[in-house]
Amino acid sequence: MENIAILDLWKQYDQKIEKSISLNRKLLTELQQQKAKNVLNPTKNIKFFAVAMGLLYIVLLAFLVVNAWEFNNIFFIVSLSTSIVITSIAIAYYIHQIRLINQIDNSESILQIQQKLSSLQASTLKVAGILLLQLPFYSTWYITFDWIKQSPDLFYFVHVPMVLLFAWAGVWLFRNINIKNMDKKWFKFLFQGSEWKAILRSGQFLKEIENFEQA
Amino acid sequence: MPTPLPLKADFVSLIEANKGIIFKICNAYCRNEIDREDLAQEITFQLWRSWSSFNGSYKLSTWMYRIALNVAISFFRKERRTHPTVLMGDHLIEMSDENLEEGLEENLHALQQFINELKPLDRALMILYLEEKPHKEMAEIMGMSTTNVATKIGRIKEQLKQKFNQQD
Repeated sequence: MENIAILDLWKQYDQKIEKSISLNRKLLTELQQQKAKNVLNPTKNIKFFAVAMGLLYIVLLAFLVVNAWEFNNIFFIVSLSTSIVITSIAIAYYIHQIRLINQIDNSESILQIQQKLSSLQASTLKVAGILLLQLPFYSTWYITFDWIKQSPDLFYFVHVPMVLLFAWAGVWLFRNINIKNMDKKWFKFLFQGSEWKAILRSGQFLKEIENFEQA
Repeated sequence: MPTPLPLKADFVSLIEANKGIIFKICNAYCRNEIDREDLAQEITFQLWRSWSSFNGSYKLSTWMYRIALNVAISFFRKERRTHPTVLMGDHLIEMSDENLEEGLEENLHALQQFINELKPLDRALMILYLEEKPHKEMAEIMGMSTTNVATKIGRIKEQLKQKFNQQD
């Protein structure tokens, strides 16, 4: 079929549509009065829930730190305090990314907006990277000076290397958790759950945009 | 000089004049009726939200297509399926002929099927081509060069031709 015939076909469709459709003005007025349709958006509610859970976790840790103060266990206090700081940074970063996504102006060009949106969505992966920096502190909070004195071999030859290994793993993951690594095996293994699907789709769409631009 | 146009009445006229475009975009990006209605409302809502900031620095149709297609692509990608939030049961764009698709010829069905099979960005370009937008405006809407637009359109047309040839 020739191009002109295709365009004529589309015009026919257009004419038929114009004859058959009408605008529901009552509904349009409702939409114009609705200032925050997105408040009802379930995706947004999930994000609010995630932030709320993060804040709850911080409150719980803070409560434990305050109550542990009198026991003067420096390992416990430092480990939990560091977790509080790291989780707070992760939550702040997450809120910042959501704010940027919501501020996107859809009247910019399609490639620009879709690239910006996908990059922002994919960069929420960074939150996981930040949270993983806490990894070594999960194995330090229960250390006590008495325990070190009683079992120095176990502490220096088993526990310290383990903490160092976790620290290295945390930093490595923080640096490498990036959508650019989405095709690597370790990445697929870590992010195989359904909760990561949306972020992985953003990564795939980023590639699609890149291919599209390289025509 | 930028022209301010933030009037409610003007907006209603804009949607009235372009309801067909919104309808076609929704049809191209959604397969079921609930999604189509949700997308139509989302596009209209986003157009209304941006209406007061439209400053006339580019064509009104460029502005409208950018928003409508951006919202449609984002909606398509989300795989989220919510329900329309305003007046359930009603449709923003109502059809008097419920069997609109039935009376259409076979070729048009094949064309619609072809559009639905395209990737979201190619689909946007195809709609703009079918709407006979000049390459320059297509480039502004898409955010790419006119040369790139011409190359892409050429490729899509070639695919389309093959599709119809296979059908014959």
